[in-house]
Amino acid sequence: MTETRVPRGSTVRLGAVDGDLRADGHVRIEVDGRLAVSGNARFEGDAEIEGDLECRSLDADDGTVRVKGSLRASDVVHARDAAIEVGGEFRAHRADIDRRLRVTGPATADEFEVGGVLDGGNTLTARRVSVGGKLRLVGKLTAEGVEAGGSVDIADVEIDSLEAGGLIRLNGGTVRRSIEVGGRFVADAPLAFGSLEAGGLAELKGDGKGGAIDVGGVFTARGNLTFTSLKVGGMGSIGGSGEGESVEVGGKFDVHGGLRLTRALDVGGFVSIREELRADRLELGGALSARRAVFSSDADVGGRVQTVEGLKAERLVLRRKARASGPLVGGSVELEDKARAEDVYGTSVDLGEKAEARRVFAARVRIRADARVDEVTFTETAEIDPAAHLRSPPRRVEALPVFPL
Amino acid sequence: MLNGRDEANPPRRREVTDLYATVLEVVKHYHGAARITRVSYGAGMPVDRLRNFVDRLLALGLLTSDELDGRPVYDITPRGQEFLDTYWKMRGYVEVLERGPRDERPNRRR
Repeated sequence: MTETRVPRGSTVRLGAVDGDLRADGHVRIEVDGRLAVSGNARFEGDAEIEGDLECRSLDADDGTVRVKGSLRASDVVHARDAAIEVGGEFRAHRADIDRRLRVTGPATADEFEVGGVLDGGNTLTARRVSVGGKLRLVGKLTAEGVEAGGSVDIADVEIDSLEAGGLIRLNGGTVRRSIEVGGRFVADAPLAFGSLEAGGLAELKGDGKGGAIDVGGVFTARGNLTFTSLKVGGMGSIGGSGEGESVEVGGKFDVHGGLRLTRALDVGGFVSIREELRADRLELGGALSARRAVFSSDADVGGRVQTVEGLKAERLVLRRKARASGPLVGGSVELEDKARAEDVYGTSVDLGEKAEARRVFAARVRIRADARVDEVTFTETAEIDPAAHLRSPPRRVEALPVFPL
Repeated sequence: MLNGRDEANPPRRREVTDLYATVLEVVKHYHGAARITRVSYGAGMPVDRLRNFVDRLLALGLLTSDELDGRPVYDITPRGQEFLDTYWKMRGYVEVLERGPRDERPNRRR
């Protein structure tokens, strides 16, 4: 195969090159329409091509190759200790670039492997994208897997999986499988995703719809959120309403609409639900406030619960020294020692020693020593310890009033 | 490298801790085959400066080195991963604290 050489520091005019092209450093190639190289185009150092370049493969070494038009290579574009800049479209089978790839037009390859920065001014389509440092893209990214060591800053996406060491910021779109980010994740528009795992902070500015969400530090969804499980190590908030299977929060969790879960709400710290909370069960170590809270099985309250319309569960336990304001409705309701509540409704209600309630309405009531109750209304049995303090004698009735909720 | 665009939160200057985290993240990206030049491009740091960071991370047990094709390659250690987990969690909290209470209101139009 023949080889066409461009000497160091020269300016040449080329059109079609039969065979390979070899250019030394600091060359400028003017182009008749387009530069078509049937073999390999090799650049040793800086080079400028003043139009389109087509070749079988391209090798660049220790410099920057600037193609002012489009670059199309049927095989590999390889830049060793070098950068590639393309003014038009980029198309190759594979791009393996050590330093930087900058493309103004659409970029397409089976695989992009860039050590430093991949900077795209239009769309990027690939099977796999791997960037050691930073990935920036103005247009839509369509790919199977995308990985970056540093940060990803992109517009709309349609990809299978996305992984970045530091920061992922995207407009919105679909990530069918997983998003994993070491640090901070921000989506500026509605996003659908398989799963989301962020080490530090995750923020969805539009509505979110996805599977498991696991955030180490802080999670914010400014719109509505649909998920399977939501696990937040520190603080979490949903600006709209939330719907999913389960929520587990270590610290503080706020929902400005309602929250509906098919399984458990487990909060170590503080939960505030502006509207209705519905779930299968509640495990609360700290404090819960909601307009109303309804659990189809158990509610276990270790701290403080505050509702306007009430808290209802099939089995409800206020642990020792726990506090409830707003009606409590069972099933069975148990106030452990020194727990304090207002009105309590249930099939059975059991107040531990030194527990306090305002009014109790139940079929079966048990009040232990030193517990304090203003009124007890029952239909079947009332087991009152002689040392309990009742403001008025217990009253047996044929039927209890209609329970709240 | 780890600071992105955000109109409300302009990029902050990278502190030394940020640079250590950046180096660790880039090394991690290469799954045990991180060469110094690739890490240099990824972290946006010249090789001579990077070597000081890598030496310090090796001394602290946050990185480990090996040889591949006669050249040194680096990998993150479990202790290095622990550093990253803690670093990012702390960055999340710091960012929320620095925003102030007004920015915490949901559905706030920017």
